Amino acid sequence: MKLYCLSGHPTLPCNVLKFKSTTIMLDCGLDTTSVLNFLPLPLVHSPRLSKLPGWVSKDGSINLEKELKECGGRVFVDSQPELCLPERELMDLSTIDVILISNYHCMMALPYITEHSGFTGAVYATEPTLQIGRLLMEELVNHMERVPKAQTATCWKNKEIQRLLPGPLKDVAEVWAWKRCYTIQEVNSALSKVQLVGYSQKVVRVLHQELFGAVQVSPLSSGYSLGSSNWIIQSHYEKVSYMSGSSLLTTHPQPMDQSSLKNSDILILTGLTQMPTANPDGMLGEFCSNLAMTIRAGGNVLVPCYSSGVIYDLLECLYQFIDSANLGSTPFYFISPIANSSLEFSQIFAEWLCHNKQSKVYLPEPPFPHAELIQTNKLKHYPSIHGDFSSEFRQPCVVFTGHPSLRFGDVVHFMELWGRSSLNTIIFTEPDFSYLDALAPYQPLAMKCVYCPIDTRLNFHQVSKLLKEIQPLHVVCPEQYTQPPPAQSHRSDLMLELPAPPLPYRRCSVLSLPFRRRYERIHLLPELAKSLVPSEVKPGVSVATVSGMLQSKDNKHTLMSVPRPPPAAPTKKRKRVAEEPPELLAPKPLLSGAVPLDGFLATLHKHGVSEVKVEETADGHILHLQAEDALIQMEAHATHIVCDNNEPMRTTLRDLVLRFLQKL
Amino acid sequence: MDGECVKLLPQLCKVLAVSGKSLPDDTSLEKLLDWFSGLTNLGTGLVEACPCLPAFISTVIHNASPDPTILSFTFKLTGLLAATESSFKLLQENSLLLGSVFDPPHRWQEAGFWDDPCVRIGWVQGIRAMLQHPPALHFLVESDFTKVLLRLQTDTSLFVAAAANDVLAHILVTQSQLSGKCVDMEREEKSSIGKTVTMDADVQRLALTLGSSSDYATVVMAILEHVKASLVSKENKERHQTLQGLRLLIVVFGQARAPLLGILLKAVSEPLEALVAEGHSQLHLLLLDVLLTAYSCSSHDNPTTGQHNPTRDQVLNDPDSGQPADSLISHMLDTYKPPELIHAGAALLRRDHRDLSHKAKAAGLLLLPLEMITGLTLPGTQSAGSAEQRCSLAELMNSKTPCISLLCVCLTHATLLTCTPPDVLPCPIGSLVTVILSLLRICSGQAPISPIGSSKAYRNLIGCGKVQRCSLEALTALAVSPGAAERMSEVFSVLIEYLDNPDSEPTVLHKSYQTLLKWISVLPVPSSSIRDTLGQDLLSVVRKRVCDVRWEVRDSTVEFLGDLAALSPSNDSAQCASENPLVCSFTPHLVEALQDPESYVRASAIKALAQTFTLGWQQGAAPSQQQTALVKQLLDILSGDTEGFPRRAVIRYFSSWFSLWSQNAPGLPPPRSSSSSSSSSSSSSSSPLLLTSSVGSVLSLGSADLDWEVKVHTLELARLLLHRALSPLGASASLSGSDAASPRQPAPHPYAVTGQWAGPGGQGEAGDADPGGALAGLVEQGVLAVLLSGLFDCDRPVALKACGLLMDLRDAVCPTPAGAAPSAAVAAVTCKLQGCSWGKEVEALLERAGVVANGSKGEGSKGCDWTGDEEEEEEEGGGSVRVCDVLRSLDLDERLSVLSQSSDHVQNSPLSLLQDILSIGDRHADPNSQEVIVDCY
Repeated sequence: MKLYCLSGHPTLPCNVLKFKSTTIMLDCGLDTTSVLNFLPLPLVHSPRLSKLPGWVSKDGSINLEKELKECGGRVFVDSQPELCLPERELMDLSTIDVILISNYHCMMALPYITEHSGFTGAVYATEPTLQIGRLLMEELVNHMERVPKAQTATCWKNKEIQRLLPGPLKDVAEVWAWKRCYTIQEVNSALSKVQLVGYSQKVVRVLHQELFGAVQVSPLSSGYSLGSSNWIIQSHYEKVSYMSGSSLLTTHPQPMDQSSLKNSDILILTGLTQMPTANPDGMLGEFCSNLAMTIRAGGNVLVPCYSSGVIYDLLECLYQFIDSANLGSTPFYFISPIANSSLEFSQIFAEWLCHNKQSKVYLPEPPFPHAELIQTNKLKHYPSIHGDFSSEFRQPCVVFTGHPSLRFGDVVHFMELWGRSSLNTIIFTEPDFSYLDALAPYQPLAMKCVYCPIDTRLNFHQVSKLLKEIQPLHVVCPEQYTQPPPAQSHRSDLMLELPAPPLPYRRCSVLSLPFRRRYERIHLLPELAKSLVPSEVKPGVSVATVSGMLQSKDNKHTLMSVPRPPPAAPTKKRKRVAEEPPELLAPKPLLSGAVPLDGFLATLHKHGVSEVKVEETADGHILHLQAEDALIQMEAHATHIVCDNNEPMRTTLRDLVLRFLQKL
Repeated sequence: MDGECVKLLPQLCKVLAVSGKSLPDDTSLEKLLDWFSGLTNLGTGLVEACPCLPAFISTVIHNASPDPTILSFTFKLTGLLAATESSFKLLQENSLLLGSVFDPPHRWQEAGFWDDPCVRIGWVQGIRAMLQHPPALHFLVESDFTKVLLRLQTDTSLFVAAAANDVLAHILVTQSQLSGKCVDMEREEKSSIGKTVTMDADVQRLALTLGSSSDYATVVMAILEHVKASLVSKENKERHQTLQGLRLLIVVFGQARAPLLGILLKAVSEPLEALVAEGHSQLHLLLLDVLLTAYSCSSHDNPTTGQHNPTRDQVLNDPDSGQPADSLISHMLDTYKPPELIHAGAALLRRDHRDLSHKAKAAGLLLLPLEMITGLTLPGTQSAGSAEQRCSLAELMNSKTPCISLLCVCLTHATLLTCTPPDVLPCPIGSLVTVILSLLRICSGQAPISPIGSSKAYRNLIGCGKVQRCSLEALTALAVSPGAAERMSEVFSVLIEYLDNPDSEPTVLHKSYQTLLKWISVLPVPSSSIRDTLGQDLLSVVRKRVCDVRWEVRDSTVEFLGDLAALSPSNDSAQCASENPLVCSFTPHLVEALQDPESYVRASAIKALAQTFTLGWQQGAAPSQQQTALVKQLLDILSGDTEGFPRRAVIRYFSSWFSLWSQNAPGLPPPRSSSSSSSSSSSSSSSPLLLTSSVGSVLSLGSADLDWEVKVHTLELARLLLHRALSPLGASASLSGSDAASPRQPAPHPYAVTGQWAGPGGQGEAGDADPGGALAGLVEQGVLAVLLSGLFDCDRPVALKACGLLMDLRDAVCPTPAGAAPSAAVAAVTCKLQGCSWGKEVEALLERAGVVANGSKGEGSKGCDWTGDEEEEEEEGGGSVRVCDVLRSLDLDERLSVLSQSSDHVQNSPLSLLQDILSIGDRHADPNSQEVIVDCY
């Protein structure tokens, strides 16, 4: 069993598991942190961004004026932003049989895998994952295509040139894995390969019986986002669990199914919180108080966020907070090409929600309170800053919009608009991007900046409790989890500490998983089963000997009767020896039971062996037959008769021993 | 004693003797005993006054199968009756009653009653009550009850065992002090110190010098032998006896004086040494407690003079008293294992042990866990604890629960270090502050782990609210210590970090605020850079916290802002506290908090605003636009808020404003209500005018409130107005309305009162002394209406307070006796009854008194005195009465006496108790009667 690690990002994993002749890809996360090295894409012409000076090395030897621009004291790539793909050279992607998706954040690289790679397998995901994932992909494509850039910068990626560039461009790795965003056609094509599954549904048997007969795959609720799942991959005797973004907090999704993860041979653990020191509750409180503080002082609040996920919780929290903070009259705007769909979709996936929200549906009430905010006009959503929004726009206000990297999307416009006033505040809630890097091209900035990353995924404390509970034999995890975060090397509590050290992986690792397959299930054909004669060796346990022929095909093993030799030919013509079926020898009977010492001694005595010296050993007894000069060594699992060259004596003694044993 | 009760007692005794368990409730007998003991304390001889009681006792003890509860009661009652020497003798003469009552070994035990713990405890408590005089002790010895007591000391019932221990201690201590010859004994004792005598001789000598018979010596001998025997090492199963022996010693050592103390010490020092040497962990802390109690001087210092008891000192220094406690304590400190070691250190500091070297060691021990966690080296801890002890302590700190609990013990006791002499202090206070700050940083996950600190222990503490709270408390206590000021900026930075930390629990934030306040209070007055930095940091933190999602945090923040404003130096040249830039910038947040959805926060905001404006009020500054708007907002809260807390706070706001204003403007006339409609005119340019215009509305809204506390606070404001109006009349001294429960001053002599305002009725100063004017002012302001409304309120505290205030008013303006005519000016003052909830009641009272309201149907009635403008009254529909008539007709004295009694005074009276118990007798007498089950909802 091998694990190919195509992504080094712990929360945007992309791993491939080879297990029992099947090749399973676990998630295909897309690392978008690469976009931080690019200049923002403004929605309206920005004189500031258009007049940035190009970069030339100090000695003038390298001139990348067209590709790199200096902005806010740093150098950025002036090109269509590129995204860091999972590793595609480590293995042949066309051999992948199936892709399992855990949640909508971990599927963003799907088109890169399924398209133009020869992929012919299937992709499995839950319905909310597919629908919201589709929305997020469409939004990404929309953001990129709204502001097209003619050129693509490639010169700076040249290794010789890159090492001469100023930081952080100098230090970025995997630049050759960076690619432009996919198109909407590719998205549609990739998503057409997705097959929907429900929690705990044993999906694979139905779909790929021939190939996967021996491996069963089922998703479990992971509690992180709508439709998010962990996966169990199991054969009859092996169980591999794959944990991606999971949460134990009582937010909107269905709670995490922990018990099904128990007793795994291997647990692949990814997707822990990126902010182990930031408690989501505290951050939510921080978010609310900073928001209220800014509005009270007459400023605007900008929340760069994804269009699905934590935003539902933020809106719910604000719903309760608005009145207590006297923010009833403040408008809340949600601007995204998919704002409407996201808000509506969340209300219809009732079966994927936590119990509280599910029960609301039967009242009937919308499960999320943002419906009421929309009804009462407190929350308004628009596809873009263009159109209706500009006529409705009222300040001070709160704007939720993407993209959290601040490189594209409507947020770029608000940064240009509000960045110069210290009354305004930008509150970062998404943990995926360093807020300082995100803000870098907007410097100098007067607006206040608050960092409240809300990451509801498991923290180290929760995961160590969980692991104690589910007790996997081996844990495989990103190497980042095996040591404290670099910025907080003193926090030994922020790493995985397990009795058996976990197996760490990094991008491009290929791990041989420490997995010993000891058993295999074999089917007995009915006629063979009928011929068995079981005999009870101890209460509840019967055994029988069986002879048959084993057929292995498609990971399935069947034991069938040995074909009988054809009846003797009526002709007297002698058959060729080679054509005769192999001669079947009756198997020797198997013995079971124990030899009782007293009874055996009595039998020996009856047979004239009277001088027996019994010696007790750790495992049983040694009987020394002094007159016969023989030894009988009786142990729990073996009996040895030692008599020097006296075969008749040995046979007699053997028969006496056999009297006490059962024969099968 | 109440005659009726005396009459009922014989009947009650009969009922009790037969009824047994079917008493109304299980506390009846206790209440009965309480009543009896109350009577005994008042000097009533119960045996003589109630001969039925000895008869009852006799009936019970001669009953073949008494109820155990009644038997227990009988023991206690007998003890109570025999508590005085004369009664004891009377009972003794009564055919040896006492002997047959307290005869457990024979009768009660044989009959099987002794198995019931309630009987045993009754017996012990009976003996305890009786042992107040030498004959009782003689009786004890003669009956050989000491053995029973000693056996009961290790009774299976913890209550019985504790009670027996208590009696033994009582015998040892109190009996030795009963004799007036103690002083002589002490002198003799001093002279005999140093001589080696046997314990028997000691005890005999003690008894002799006490003037008591050999009884005392016998008892003391028996007890001492028993204690000694219990201390000698035994198997684990008999450990209970040792524990009880030690507990007895703790009590006795705490109270014993010189002669007894010396003998005791001599008797038990050897077994104690042996116990210490054995080192049973179960006994560690008790043993230490015994030693500390025995050898501490402070417990016997004279609390009034603060002087040591020299004889006790001598006893303690007597080499005959066994091995000095110091070496035993040293041995303990060297051999104990954590956590006993830390607890021992805490005990040594808490008990203020006299030995300074031990104290220093104890202080070092307490700092040891702090040092281990933080990795900071403190100079004084080097000598604390052996290497082995440190090692096992470090191991203990790795598990979460002991780590947290030990740290909390250390932090709680670290505050005691502030009272420790500097030479004993293991480290300067500044270092201690640094260690606590470091611990606080560890708890918030901020501090880097020290190379010598334990990483496991460190993990236990991150986010631990308990340790955070204890640390903050310790930090608060250290603020005033010399040397702490050096760490001021560090303290502020950690506290601000805590206030800013999103993960701080509300309770931790609250404590952080309190600590911060304490440290700000010791900040040097001249503005410094620390103050400026703190101001900026605080501003940003507080701005955020007043918007917190958790109401507890918002409440703590608002409360803090109020307290901060109250801290502002009063000698500031500024006009008001809000001139302080720090406080000034917070005021808008407080005003905003008035609209908080949580009532506690609104109430705290109102209080904080009052604290903010206090200085301005004191200085009579003109109200700002903000304050004028605020008054309107507060009146809105008073009239419209659905919760009681903010409304109560509003009344208190105005009370404190009025109180401060009137203190600082003694010469000004009392504010008059200009007009109820223009209550909060924004054109009010001066503080008195704004106040005056609001007070009328506050009074009328407050007295009409549904919350009784709001009404009581309104009456408090009325009291201030009353005081203000009446003080020129010299009546202030008798104002007791603020505390109606206090005994009232005798009413001033009528002529004397009249004389006080019989001066020229002019204007200005003289006008202020015009009772008529003052009274008219009070009526006009609505004070009288508030008082009358309060008087007829259904809530007793409201009515009581109003009654007290009305009496003050009556005494000041309407001279007694009732027949005397008030001055014309006073008599001319009327009030209207119509439209008031209490109008009809007053009218009825007036009718009964023969006074009829002006313009009403009682025209021509006697005593009716028409005053005022008839035309105006006709227009308004009449209903005016003279205030004096009203005050006189209310029969306030009678009302006060009724109101002063608690609402359950009838149910709690002895008579009621006796009747209750007797009622079960009735039930027994009539088997057909069915118990009425009352639904007490």
